[in-house]
Amino acid sequence: MMNVSFNELQGLSRKAFIGIGFSDGHADDAADMVAWMESFDLHGLEALNAGLQHLMEEDPDTLPQILYQDGDLAVIDGQDLSVLRSSNLALELAFAKARARGLSVIKIRRCRQRQLIMGYLARLAGRGMNITAFWRNAQIPLTEQVVGFRANSSAPSIRVYSVEEVPEENEPNSGITIVMANHVDLLPTMRSDFRYDLLAKHEESDLMAVRDRAMVNGIEVEVSLWERLKVLAHMTLVASSAVSSRGAGEED
Amino acid sequence: MIELITEPAQLTPVLRPPALVMDLERLGSLNASRLSFARSLIRQMGRQRWHISCDRFELDALGHGQAIYRIQTPYGRYHAVIFSQRLDDSQRSDRVIANAWDVTFGLVEGDVEDALMTSLAENIPLQEAGRQHPRLLVISRANKSVRNFDVFVDALSKGSQPPVSLLKEAGYLYRTTAVYGNGKFGIADFGRLKENADFRRPFSAQMTAVYVLRQFSIAQVEHIARHRHAHSAVGLHIDLQRYLGIGNSTGLGMAPFLINHPQLINQWIHAREQALALAKMQIPSEEDRSQLLLLCRRAYHYFVETVVMDTHQTSRNAAVIEELSGVIAWLEQIAIEPDLWQQLTDWGEAALSLESQELLNALLIELYPAQVDVLEDAMGVDEKLDLTPDMPLVQLKQVIETHLDWALSEDFDDPVSCHWFWYRSVEKEEPRLGVRGAEDGVEKELSLAIAPRAQRTYRAISDYLEEHPRALTIEFLMAQPKFMDIIRRIQTMAATPYGEIRANLWHRDMKPIHLLRTKLSFLGANRFDPRSDRWVRVTFFQGAPLIDELNEEPADLSAFDDWSFPLMPSDSSGESAAQLATK
Repeated sequence: MMNVSFNELQGLSRKAFIGIGFSDGHADDAADMVAWMESFDLHGLEALNAGLQHLMEEDPDTLPQILYQDGDLAVIDGQDLSVLRSSNLALELAFAKARARGLSVIKIRRCRQRQLIMGYLARLAGRGMNITAFWRNAQIPLTEQVVGFRANSSAPSIRVYSVEEVPEENEPNSGITIVMANHVDLLPTMRSDFRYDLLAKHEESDLMAVRDRAMVNGIEVEVSLWERLKVLAHMTLVASSAVSSRGAGEED
Repeated sequence: MIELITEPAQLTPVLRPPALVMDLERLGSLNASRLSFARSLIRQMGRQRWHISCDRFELDALGHGQAIYRIQTPYGRYHAVIFSQRLDDSQRSDRVIANAWDVTFGLVEGDVEDALMTSLAENIPLQEAGRQHPRLLVISRANKSVRNFDVFVDALSKGSQPPVSLLKEAGYLYRTTAVYGNGKFGIADFGRLKENADFRRPFSAQMTAVYVLRQFSIAQVEHIARHRHAHSAVGLHIDLQRYLGIGNSTGLGMAPFLINHPQLINQWIHAREQALALAKMQIPSEEDRSQLLLLCRRAYHYFVETVVMDTHQTSRNAAVIEELSGVIAWLEQIAIEPDLWQQLTDWGEAALSLESQELLNALLIELYPAQVDVLEDAMGVDEKLDLTPDMPLVQLKQVIETHLDWALSEDFDDPVSCHWFWYRSVEKEEPRLGVRGAEDGVEKELSLAIAPRAQRTYRAISDYLEEHPRALTIEFLMAQPKFMDIIRRIQTMAATPYGEIRANLWHRDMKPIHLLRTKLSFLGANRFDPRSDRWVRVTFFQGAPLIDELNEEPADLSAFDDWSFPLMPSDSSGESAAQLATK
């Protein structure tokens, strides 16, 4: 393991995403999402690492498609892309609808690396939006995750739980559902008549303490992943030559 | 009878228009001002009674080894840790691609325990190639001005003072070649300093490290001189110590910062423009006029003494000297009227070069610390470029027409307008310029040039509106996501007057050195000495009070307030040129 700063992680990730073929804007957002997750110790790099190969094989020209929309609802086909590539504008669409109607619901179907979407939700929460996101992490056992942000809070509340009584309709679901509200708090509170096992519970204050520690001590990164990102980032650089060396100005 | 009550008119500072202020050549004519970070830092140090002491000074006879300086503020303790090593002349390069330097150093938050010192000693000398500790706020390196260094050691060891004229060309013994902060190579993120009362202002930690290096450079030459001839060696005269600064050599590496941080640039320029507008509003007294005359005369002599190698800068400085004479004559003759400063700047805009105009503005700001100095806390900003997805697309089109008219007027069909492309080299990611169509690498071009991107965006929006006249911004972006980052920038920056530098960075005649000087002036650099249109040497802290003077906690802090445009001390009489200039 090695220790890196938040800015360093964000910067190298951004260059790596550009190396993969992301546009500048999408690379900015994807890097923010990964670094944000990692600064809260929410395993952003682990998620990135697990999906990196698929990410590199995705067609950069494939775009998420709007399947349905009206004033306060939209259904998006994420085209089996990583949320690093497909979620930012879909979430901006939900944001615009919530601004206009007070509350919006957006469903992104067929998307990957859903954990990482939290980084962009944090950004929208920072712009004054209350948000809840829901998705199923696994089918067996059936595991669900709810993430809630209060407006203007930089940390979420997270609940992960497994459901004992599996409904009959239990098709694999790689989608994610997001609710945004201008004025109403949407933080998750567990309340159910059905049995469930709470697998993880992160409160805002705990996560803020984690982030503060990361800002002081830095962020631990696996050396092999760091090296992999450096290889990708290297693809943004231009080979040096005598001519290019003069491009920096004459030797001082 | 009805009594008419007229309330006194509420005067609002009138800021200069962005089209004037954000012109690249004008920005490339800025001088340091009292809002520059080096100046703010020295005022803060004096006001808050910072104490700086040398905790360790373990150098061999040649000056190689380690030194540690303790910095105690009312809120915290820090240490500047310095490593000095022998460097072969062939290895001495100011380019970012260098791998070794005469001196490397860092600023540590808190104490330096043995284990930390071991880690610092292993990594700081490696700079980019090292893995730096998260308690480091800054790392940096510097190369000797070999000629000055050797002459200084030689003279002091023989019991004499070095010739002061040497410092006219290079007013330092060391020049830094990069000063890193904000998380680079593992050091602390700037975000961690947001609540730090000592270093929350931009670049204040970096300037502190550079200021301490200045003290080290003095102590090191004296140390080597003593070791060379213990019986005859003398210390450096205090006037010469004060006249020594720290040099800096800056290349294209600094340029992307100016484009990639538009909100920060807006804060800096906005604060400076507010200061200027506030100064121009003041009703001058005879005392104010005398003080401005004093400042003009000092600046005049400073430019007379300044020697630079670049012929273009030499002629610019010559113009400043001639024009300052005119300004002095104007000020001496004109009657004092309430709008005297407005008259002065109006006349200056019509009659003076950009360099002289901006110099005069910087001097005018000096007169009103009570109004101006509060702005130094407005130099930072939380940077975030956000999309406004629900903005009607037709409104976005209007925003571009209003705020980026300068970009829309550029003819990108003309090859001259597309001459350069910016990229990063595999050699330490050094930013470079290539000629489009003639050099490799254009497919990896950095998107630094805002003008062509704004123009392409405008055309795409106009086409989309033909089919979708009521579309929102997000609908356009869902169809054409590649425009997301530039639209985010346009929407965010539309709320600010001064973030975008109005220049086509692709244009054949664009001078990158103007970008470098813009930032350097805000850092507090003086004595701009271009080595090409992409490379400049400058000096920091020349004339600033010394650490001993800081530690004395003087009741009179005027020396900490005003040390800009320092004049060369006299060689023999001990009477400084500054004193002579004011007689």
